[in-house]
Amino acid sequence: MARSDVGQMSPNAGLGRILLFAACIPILVLLVLPSLIIVPMALTKGDLIQFPPIWISIHAFTDYLGDPAWVDSTVLSFKVSILAVAVGAVAGATAAIALHGRRFPGRNLVAGLIMSPIVVPAIVLALGDYLLLSPFQLIGNWIALAVVHAIHVTPYVFISVQTSLTVGLSTALLRSARSLGAGHFSVFRFVHWPAIRPGLLAGGILGFAVSFDDVVLSLFMQGPNTITLPVRMFTAIEYDLTPKIAASASVFIALAVIGLLVHSLGTARRTAA
Amino acid sequence: MNDPSLFQRSGRRLDVEGVWKAYGSQPFVVRDVTFVLEPGEFLTLLGPSGSGKTTILMLIAGFETLSRGKIRVDGRDIVGQPPERRNFGIVFQGYALFPHMSVLDNVAFPLRMKGVGARERARQAGEILEKVGLNGLGSRRPHELSGGQQQRVALARALVFEPDALLLDEPLGALDRKLREQLQIEIKEIQRRVGVSVLLVTHDQDEAMMMSDRIAVMADGKIMQIGSPADVYLHPATPFVAGFLGETNLMPGICCGLEGDRVVIRFRNGELGRAGIPRFGGRPVPGDAVLASIRPERIRILKPDQRADSLIEGKIVSCAFLGRHARYVIDVGNQLVAVSTTDWSETSALAPGTRVRLGWLSEDAQGLVDQHPRS
Repeated sequence: MARSDVGQMSPNAGLGRILLFAACIPILVLLVLPSLIIVPMALTKGDLIQFPPIWISIHAFTDYLGDPAWVDSTVLSFKVSILAVAVGAVAGATAAIALHGRRFPGRNLVAGLIMSPIVVPAIVLALGDYLLLSPFQLIGNWIALAVVHAIHVTPYVFISVQTSLTVGLSTALLRSARSLGAGHFSVFRFVHWPAIRPGLLAGGILGFAVSFDDVVLSLFMQGPNTITLPVRMFTAIEYDLTPKIAASASVFIALAVIGLLVHSLGTARRTAA
Repeated sequence: MNDPSLFQRSGRRLDVEGVWKAYGSQPFVVRDVTFVLEPGEFLTLLGPSGSGKTTILMLIAGFETLSRGKIRVDGRDIVGQPPERRNFGIVFQGYALFPHMSVLDNVAFPLRMKGVGARERARQAGEILEKVGLNGLGSRRPHELSGGQQQRVALARALVFEPDALLLDEPLGALDRKLREQLQIEIKEIQRRVGVSVLLVTHDQDEAMMMSDRIAVMADGKIMQIGSPADVYLHPATPFVAGFLGETNLMPGICCGLEGDRVVIRFRNGELGRAGIPRFGGRPVPGDAVLASIRPERIRILKPDQRADSLIEGKIVSCAFLGRHARYVIDVGNQLVAVSTTDWSETSALAPGTRVRLGWLSEDAQGLVDQHPRS
């Protein structure tokens, strides 16, 4: 059926396809270009970040990796994001499991509260966190920063775990496990865990991306020793325009590519299994 | 039929006694249900959707809490126990196999939950897979199997831990007709071999007739009648049971009196007819509104010289040839009556509009008390 449709494609359909391409390609270029432009800019010979770059040197990368302040920021960013994802994954996944298939008054309110960090403007949350945490001398504490990030990661994990539960978990499956003698822990291990795994992976990757490139929260929460990589780049843009900015930006692009690869590998393995 | 000694003594006696269930402040969905599942017996809860039959199954399994009543296994009250501590093998409508586990792991799962060692549970799971005819498929994933095979895996998984009883919730609903009939025979055969007692929930009357030792017909949360397939079909207690199990003609009238074991009925059109006094259910008294229940295959279109002890006249509305039998629809004045006959040929077929006399033997009809008479 589908094959004959293609075979009998009218000239109009061909024209439609050309128009579709004509509209899509500029959009795709616009989406990818800013990311692609940054890599050549990191390869400049000059001492300022500029476009077009002066070909060709890797001194921006060696400077970046040789500067303890930049390296510390990079390590800090990883530490904060990993802890934030760990906390957010536990919070988001347990919340999704707890709400799955339950009906009670106020359920939507609870779900809305968990989702609110996505909806509420980051600047408002950042200010709130700042005012809340500063009396406790927690501004500049990397664990406190990670917890604040975790609040932002939670809704991403929550929503993607919720989706996998809808797809992979039925009341009959839960009931059959229990009727076969599975207690709460076994039900989690053999029914919930396999069902949430894809959502946990997707939500975790997304949450990591959100946390890793956050500027607003980290800017408010920064202390002398807690300057995350995006905050350092942001300040550097203002003051010295060093090509290290472009070099460190390449780290983000590399992470994004790795994230996408991990996710598609995870999905491919599941489909094969 | 209800003598326990007739059944192989395996599985346990399940007592459901005066069970009621309501969700919150809503009306009761299960009302005063009482029955006994004898060891080794195959009992079916048969009813239309919404009759409360699945709720009863879930109450026994422990997934719903009952409002009133008792559920006992061999005299031991199980009402307070969570589902995982009760010992029932359940087959759900969609089979509910664990998608990420192999067939063997699925079947071995309940043994694993009971702490049986890996080698022993693989042996037992392999044994039961052989019993349900699936040897060699242990390493497959559920989604690699056909619907019928998945059904058998679910059955094996529910049997492997020697449950007190097998609870089947519309287990064949998702399969096509041919496969369904084949599996009905297979499940019955496996049940006989294993000797387990079975409680089946279904809305399919053929399935109930085919598999059950006894059938409990349900409507509105109540058991209307419980008995052997022959009892329920041949001696329905209420008009609902007569109509739900197979097809029947329900002809309204008034009871004029009893003659021995017959009810004399005056039909709406003034004619008198006779029907048997129902063996189960209410006995009509003169003046009662009654419904004469007569199966289409028990009514005959009489030839001019033939006689019967109950007669009614009518006009043929339509005739359909259905292969095994032909089916006439006949207008008897105030209602339509279905008659099925195997005595049919292309030349003897009666044309619509033909006037005919219909007759039946009074023992083939039941004079059932009409609980909701329409005036």
